[in-house]
Amino acid sequence: MSRATRRAQIAIVLAASMLAGCAPNRPPPGVQGDPQRGKIALTQYACHSCHSVPGVAGSKVYVGRPLEGLDKRRYIAGKAPNSQATLVRFIRDPQAIDPGNAMPTLGVSERDALDISAYLLSQ
Amino acid sequence: MLSNRARLIVKTIVSTVLGLGVIGVVGGLIVLRGGFYNISATESHYPLIYTVFEEGLQYSIQNHARDIQVPELGAPEQLLRGAAIYAANCVQCHGGPGTAPSRHGMSMQPVPGPLVDADTNWRARELYWITRHGIKMSGMPAWEYHLSDSDIWATVAFVSAMPAMTVQDFKRMTAAGADTTSVPKAVVESARASAKEDES
Repeated sequence: MSRATRRAQIAIVLAASMLAGCAPNRPPPGVQGDPQRGKIALTQYACHSCHSVPGVAGSKVYVGRPLEGLDKRRYIAGKAPNSQATLVRFIRDPQAIDPGNAMPTLGVSERDALDISAYLLSQ
Repeated sequence: MLSNRARLIVKTIVSTVLGLGVIGVVGGLIVLRGGFYNISATESHYPLIYTVFEEGLQYSIQNHARDIQVPELGAPEQLLRGAAIYAANCVQCHGGPGTAPSRHGMSMQPVPGPLVDADTNWRARELYWITRHGIKMSGMPAWEYHLSDSDIWATVAFVSAMPAMTVQDFKRMTAAGADTTSVPKAVVESARASAKEDES
């Protein structure tokens, strides 16, 4: 193999892996909703003003928990066993699951909450 | 007189610089006039651009606020006044502990930060400067011509004491007709401490 073809191959692999990095991660099986739409929706409810959200540009902020690896958490808000349905419920009405915590109710619709949860669970 | 060789080198440098300049201007105009940049507030900033702008903002504010003298902060009446101003003008975009911003505040880009953690990012004099002068291209308005100086300081006192507030404290203090009994001791101390911190 000539040096040039080798270089070209490396370049192609690099470009492909960069593209793969840009594409949204696939949601784990069983997760409903549209992660792509959820990524935009979460910025429209200012989630990223208090939480650091993987893949979303924002300030270093630690008012709320960082939202990385949500699919690996055992509990939502440290209280309710983690499932997509619970996550959707928490996003829509955090006080119902963890009364007195500082996260307000932001008026998130059912569909938006489902898509936001799909995005968070696929990070 | 330059030798032929030197003349050739100078010529090459000048024409390269000019050529690149022309290409740059034409390229810039194409991008600008083509409208390719997506200006919408649903399209995220590029993370690098966001970070560079944010750093610039921090250095600018540190520099411009450096000579501001901070008065004594934390009298319960002052905190109540600050709470009333906050409820009337600030909570719509910044929200508060357990209180959501309004819809227009939530969907702004850049998103107006929460102020619960303002004390970790800013000194009292910097909060005063930001409130008084606003921040260009961020949506943060200047209040210099709309609030008196003592009202701006009252707002700063309230904001810098916010980390000491529970969800209930915030609700009680910002409620209409709140009196000084709704101001917890911890909140008074927190405001006092942030003014003191700036003296040093």
